[in-house]
Amino acid sequence: MFSSRTQGGVVDRSLVRPRVEVNLSTFSYLFSELIQYCQARVSNIGELERRLDIVGFGVGVRLLELLSYRERSSRRDLKLLDALRFVHTTLWRYLFGRPAKDLEQSNNAEDEYMISDVDLFITKYISVPKEMGHLNCAAFVAGIVRGALDGAGFPSRVTAHNVAVPGQSQAKTTLLIKFDALVLQREQRLPSS
Amino acid sequence: MVCFTFYIFNRKGVCQYYHEWSRSKPSREGGSKQEDFKLMFGLFWSMKTFSAAMDPKGTSKPQVGVPMRAGQGCAFRSFRTDKYKLHFMESPSGIKFVLTTDPSVGDMTTALHHIYSVPFVNQVLKNPLYVPGEPFLFESFASALNKYMRTLGLLT
Amino acid sequence: METINAEILTLTYGSIVRQLISDYEDVDEVNKQLEKMGYNIGQRLIDEYLARSKTTSCSDFKEVAERIAHVGFRMFLNTSARVAAWAPDGRSCSLILEDNPLTDFVELPEQLRGLSYSNILCGVIRGALEMVNIDAECSFVRDSLRGDDATELRLTFVAAAPEAYPYKDDD
Repeated sequence: MFSSRTQGGVVDRSLVRPRVEVNLSTFSYLFSELIQYCQARVSNIGELERRLDIVGFGVGVRLLELLSYRERSSRRDLKLLDALRFVHTTLWRYLFGRPAKDLEQSNNAEDEYMISDVDLFITKYISVPKEMGHLNCAAFVAGIVRGALDGAGFPSRVTAHNVAVPGQSQAKTTLLIKFDALVLQREQRLPSS
Repeated sequence: MVCFTFYIFNRKGVCQYYHEWSRSKPSREGGSKQEDFKLMFGLFWSMKTFSAAMDPKGTSKPQVGVPMRAGQGCAFRSFRTDKYKLHFMESPSGIKFVLTTDPSVGDMTTALHHIYSVPFVNQVLKNPLYVPGEPFLFESFASALNKYMRTLGLLT
Repeated sequence: METINAEILTLTYGSIVRQLISDYEDVDEVNKQLEKMGYNIGQRLIDEYLARSKTTSCSDFKEVAERIAHVGFRMFLNTSARVAAWAPDGRSCSLILEDNPLTDFVELPEQLRGLSYSNILCGVIRGALEMVNIDAECSFVRDSLRGDDATELRLTFVAAAPEAYPYKDDD
């Protein structure tokens, strides 16, 4: 079942390989087309963001496997904070070339965390016209994070928000991560290290 | 003010973008924007076809009245009157960039090519909400255009 | 030129294909939709290609095919293709892909045998050529994802239209 139909097929190829770059434009065109495709099938911005999130989720689940395999062999994060650090550092560096600017716990709820950054390439060329004022294309990134956390056994709800920064013309993107109740219950049962 | 107006037309004659820095009157009192765009299109279309047909150096030049292939014939770049100058640049895909300025402004072919290859590519083509060939109104493109015109010293 | 890790593109494309499969539940429809998405992308991407490569115009269809294979694939997918198997009348040829970054990590399950996974590429080429007034057809003839020994696109010239004045005199 796991053998490849052809020699040199996907299963025979190593997952560890030199990093290959492609033109960012290619991604931007594909992402634009994804938005156009989704837009024709939804009736509001919320649904559009949900669709972007689902596509991102598919990317996140696979990225987790790929990165876990490459960077940490078979060790698995059991603690919530380690999983968050993985997103903030490893995943972010893979996607955007550097760790995210901030990782903080929400003041309001102990099951909520925020990861914030500016200048994500996903949103780079996107200027949203006024009638779509609230569309946040970072919903795709939120989906990636949700997928990676879910794959690691930390189901959560992840939403993307634009937050204005006083004194800066550019808004930052904040991902609000709210873990499922069972994640916190499990966390409390784990011995603190 | 040395820049007056700026237009982008698609190859089917639709004005996709129009910016006006300074213009005292429309082409016809009470006329619509659409009518105005059509006149502008007719103006440079004629300049383009007639100048190609009249080319004294061309050996395989297109004939008047025979449709031209994109890139065929000599390239029309500008004309100048005592009041204004019209600059023109056409991409091989038939997108037409038109800029009117003060008659004292020099050759703008490179500048129009820059607008095509940088702000148009980045702020328009890569905008997910852009539909190829359709009119657009993106704040980010307008600000990139204005910024570039200022660096050229054509806007204050 | 700004770049991203090619795997992000690969995984995103894979996720989009999965989304289409769940939306349409019909492989032929998915193939059609992928081609259409590619067509739309081609209509945008052509101008970046023209502006960056400073291409003026191609003298014949042979040159068009060579530019797609050597400049286009390099610029947007960081890979290149070989032009081969020209028809005697010079109206069709094959583009043989050395490497297809879209299919990294991909293995097609049996029930998706009919899926032309990279069909988006055919659409991109058709859409891009249409913007320079060339009507062409493009389709996969071999695909290493389906167990073929190479990945081969067939490109066929249909017509080249001149630009006509878009308005009638009495409009």
